[in-house]
Amino acid sequence: MTKTLLLISARPDDEVFATQVASVAGLTLRKANTPEDGARIISEESPGVIFADASSEQEYSRLEAAIQEAVGLFSEKIDANAIHFITCENLEKVPYLIQSPLFGHFILRNYGDPAEAGEHYGRLVGATLGDRAFGLERMLKAGAKIQNVKLQSTVQKQSAVEAIKNYLLAAKFQSRMASVIANAVDEILMNAMFDAPVDELGRPLFASVSRSTAMRLEGQHAVEINVGFDGRYVGLSAIDHFGSLDKAKLLSHISKVYTEEEYKVKTSVAGAGIGLATVFRSGGSFFFASENRARTEVTVFFRRSESFREFKDQFRFISTQFYF
Amino acid sequence: MLNVIKEQKGTVLAVRLSGAIEESTNLDKLLGPPAAEMNIHCKEVSRINSVGVKIWIKYFQEAKTKGTKLKFLECSTAIVEQINLISNFTAGGAVESIFVPFSCTKCRSELVGLFKTEDLKKLNFQLPALKCSKCGAPAAFDDIPEEYFAFLMR
Repeated sequence: MTKTLLLISARPDDEVFATQVASVAGLTLRKANTPEDGARIISEESPGVIFADASSEQEYSRLEAAIQEAVGLFSEKIDANAIHFITCENLEKVPYLIQSPLFGHFILRNYGDPAEAGEHYGRLVGATLGDRAFGLERMLKAGAKIQNVKLQSTVQKQSAVEAIKNYLLAAKFQSRMASVIANAVDEILMNAMFDAPVDELGRPLFASVSRSTAMRLEGQHAVEINVGFDGRYVGLSAIDHFGSLDKAKLLSHISKVYTEEEYKVKTSVAGAGIGLATVFRSGGSFFFASENRARTEVTVFFRRSESFREFKDQFRFISTQFYF
Repeated sequence: MLNVIKEQKGTVLAVRLSGAIEESTNLDKLLGPPAAEMNIHCKEVSRINSVGVKIWIKYFQEAKTKGTKLKFLECSTAIVEQINLISNFTAGGAVESIFVPFSCTKCRSELVGLFKTEDLKKLNFQLPALKCSKCGAPAAFDDIPEEYFAFLMR
């Protein structure tokens, strides 16, 4: 793979965004106006990162067909970890991306300022170029202080959540924003404590264990949280040591909406299955990095905004990196 | 942690909830068996996580099945967000009034105003001008109208 960011889009705002991403991540920008041109460049130049406009199913299908024709969908030149789809529609409106074998990253094109959004996203792209994209410090502006908290027991979760809420209030986040972010931390910690643990065969250990159960978090069950604020973005990572994240299950949960259909209470499982979707719809962005059977880091990002309206409507994305 | 104050008036059980609703919340224990009519005041509910949502829906759906008439009043912004995200969050109960978030255009203070849902519909969601209680400057609605009032537009 070359140190090139290939942008397959004819939209000027995507170009401004990608230019900034490339600059921050240390990549050279290469542009293709059509999926066919893009597929040709993929075949000939093996770009390290690909951004593609996938605003409609038709556009996505055209891209998929062009890639299949040029190199094949399962070619070594195609790595879902390096493919970033850009759309104007929210996740639930683009099921064709959720089901795509190429899915790695989803970028919602509500850039606000595309250059500013590109600067933030560029740090994440830069981190994905390394061996493993672990570590919050690489995804925030240089100099951001990262605080680490190791939880000893599941019952410490609520105190950790409240402490983070107070930290955010001290960092001048509106109280409503702080509550939304605290809830996001609550969800990612709960997942790390109760959903990540699996046995040797990958079967969940605590699927039906009440989320209020007190358990020690020791050895492989250790859970920690990193918190950092760079003056604009706050990043919060929950870390577990199972590396059990399942991409299909994750995307199915995060893209689910219950505004049309009813939420059905399942008593056979202790979790609710709606936490991540709620966080994403509240303005948060996600970065999931998981090394199979070793480690998962789930990071949420929120931008501190002048108003809650801006906060809710901020630039956001869902990024995944899976290492096998 | 959730705290509850209960008051029985004839067949109506009024409950005032305050705090966070999460995995340790036991509504069966805190609220008891559903009464014939329940008025749930949610002004002080600061936060509700996903397991809290599940506990909430389970309790109020069972109450509805038993024939309880549900009314939700003074819904905090945290509760309104859930009503908008989950179609059956109120288990078919009526949402009588909600807190609407405002932000001062000058000092950026966060404010809330209590509105009856019926009045919001009559106003076609055009909110009256409010003044900041701290500095007197105009306060503006601070959310996305199509999202915050989505449950009333369905």
